[in-house]
Amino acid sequence: MWKIIKKYALPLSICLILLLTVIPGCGDEEEEPAVTVPVVTEPEVTEPEVTEPELAPGQPDDYYTRENIVIGGSRPLTGANSIWEEVGFGPIYKMWIEQVNADGGLYIEEYGRKLPIVYKDYIYDDTSDIATMTRQLERLMTVDKVDFCLPPASTASLFAAAPIFNKYEYILLGAEGGATTIMDMLPALPYFFGTLNYSDRYQIPVFADLCLELGIEEVAMIWIQDLHGIEYSGVAGVEFANAGVEVVMSKSVPPDVSDVSLLLLEAQDSGADALCMFAYPDQNFLIIGTMIGMGINFDAILVGPGGNIAAMPGIFGPNIEGLMFEGAWNTKSAPGAQEFYDLFTSYYDPGIGDWWGHILYWGGLQFFEQAIVEAGTLDQSVIRDLMATKTYDTVLGPTWFDIFGDGGGLLAIECHAGEIGQWQSGVPEVIDPPNIYGAKRTAPPIYPKPDWPVAE
Amino acid sequence: METVLDVVVAGLLLGGIFALISIGLSLQYGVARVLNVAHGEFIMIGAFVTWVLFEAGVNPLISLMIVGPGAFIIGFILYQAMFNYIRIKAPSLDAFEGNSILAAFGLLFVIQYIALIIWGSNIHGYTYLASPIHLGTVTVATNRLVTLGFTVVISVIFYIFLALTRLGKAIRAAAQDPATAGLMGVNIKRVLAICFGFGALMAGVAGVLLSMCYPINASMGLHYTIIAIVVVVLGGMGSIVGSFIGGFILGIVGSIVTYFDPGLSMVAYYLIFIILLLVRPKGIMGK
Repeated sequence: MWKIIKKYALPLSICLILLLTVIPGCGDEEEEPAVTVPVVTEPEVTEPEVTEPELAPGQPDDYYTRENIVIGGSRPLTGANSIWEEVGFGPIYKMWIEQVNADGGLYIEEYGRKLPIVYKDYIYDDTSDIATMTRQLERLMTVDKVDFCLPPASTASLFAAAPIFNKYEYILLGAEGGATTIMDMLPALPYFFGTLNYSDRYQIPVFADLCLELGIEEVAMIWIQDLHGIEYSGVAGVEFANAGVEVVMSKSVPPDVSDVSLLLLEAQDSGADALCMFAYPDQNFLIIGTMIGMGINFDAILVGPGGNIAAMPGIFGPNIEGLMFEGAWNTKSAPGAQEFYDLFTSYYDPGIGDWWGHILYWGGLQFFEQAIVEAGTLDQSVIRDLMATKTYDTVLGPTWFDIFGDGGGLLAIECHAGEIGQWQSGVPEVIDPPNIYGAKRTAPPIYPKPDWPVAE
Repeated sequence: METVLDVVVAGLLLGGIFALISIGLSLQYGVARVLNVAHGEFIMIGAFVTWVLFEAGVNPLISLMIVGPGAFIIGFILYQAMFNYIRIKAPSLDAFEGNSILAAFGLLFVIQYIALIIWGSNIHGYTYLASPIHLGTVTVATNRLVTLGFTVVISVIFYIFLALTRLGKAIRAAAQDPATAGLMGVNIKRVLAICFGFGALMAGVAGVLLSMCYPINASMGLHYTIIAIVVVVLGGMGSIVGSFIGGFILGIVGSIVTYFDPGLSMVAYYLIFIILLLVRPKGIMGK
């Protein structure tokens, strides 16, 4: 058969190409006689010089030529972190730009008009590689000279990108990722504004308080061997000790771990009341799947990144009941949460929702937008100063950043929509203790976590 | 004693998965001489197709019947259309091996990007046979046990097929000396394409079974390719039995190391790999 295909495919393809080339040439029109066209030398025309009106004082040099605002970014379109471009900040910044452009753009006073945002040609794929990301950021800021730059994804990437944004004086509105190590650098990073909550701001302190409320005395931890795992397990060690909760097991796993059954047996044997997974979705989902398969359960299970994604019910079905996750928000935990959720689901499949960061990213972008408009300029230093001092109304309610010295800032805890969530009847609920950090609880916690449902 | 049993059982279950993902690559490299670095992408496609079918209400074990033959046909056509052409054009076997690796790299990216376009980069999965089975004092997950069972059954079937059937003998002859086998009347081109197809079939089946135990995403393939290469080298190129044994050795070693420090499991795999290359470069069952 192969021989027959080879024998006839080539001649047939050639015939087809010839046919396609000849057909457009065939028609009813008569063939035009060959005409010798006399060469006409056009007289030289001196075009009148177009002179732009002179710039008024305070008008930028490109007042007459600027047509838009260019936003660029080095984002993980492929590779291990690409999940965040799909379900993290990715859908949020695209939706924000579409919303802004649907309104005609951002009104910039010094240009006296609205400027739409263009971004698609300036989103580079960092392939989830930090070195690639840093090179691309330098290019965006020095060669492309974009007006604003989107944040890279992941804690480690933010850590590497922050000095670059600072060096070129670009505002870094952080999205996916956050780290105490960045917090230490913030006084020297005036252009950094982190939106996402994380370990000691204030997920783990809140979880430790929750342990006190629920009577959890012993905790086992499994954490990933990278900055995320080291940081979360380190903060947990301190916070649990402060709360009188004993860490009875603390084991790390490599990112490419294939089997966690022995670790889970060890955690079970340790007698821990709660298990904390400070790893990424790949590892966390493997741990959950193995626990379900082996029937290993704890009174409380805290799932790190991944536990917050809206795809959880689809993957684990009724098994998610009672699983706690880092996050957290729902449609009741912030003033504009329901409105934001309705808008999001009008753009996207609810299955790509994220019950941790989405509302914070959206609130951060609303804040950023208002700062740009109030500044009336694209000068980053002016916008930065407003961001450091102003409070704007966003989907999160009154929103501001806690500023570290003369440096950058982190979204104030009062603006967070919650820290710890729990899946209850297929719905994410915020279960932060009611007496702290702005009373964000939307439902009492289920404790102890019910047994895994019996498989059909 | 209980701990030792736990470690051994965990090692056997993990080894079953390693063996499963390696047997196909062993066939492709050992016989067809294609170091198919896109092997993991076939696993990924198998896993995704199973997930899609599961969402449509198809039992994953029934998906085996769909994914396996489908992967075989794709593998067979791929070899005929691409690797066979490279083989004919290559001046020597070494040149063919080099060129085919480059082609396989291209294939890896093409398949991965198609998967990214279709399914995105989000994590997917489903829960199936996720319940404990108690074997004495040891508890295991049913889906892991089923995976192990399928690995053993498939390996035995393949071994019998290679040892006793006419086509199996032709495959072994082609693996040993393709030129002479050709002179003896073996249709080398067809046999090599069938081998590559069987390799793809095994990868597809591995994808089906893995999707019952692990979360899946479009970037998962390379991880499994690396493990498969380690196991194939450990077991010996082209040896089904070698891959089978190699998978279990790696699984049990990984389990023992994980018991003491999970972070060192990959180090242990590579250490075994290096030692084997130094001591017995042809692998455990290599000739």
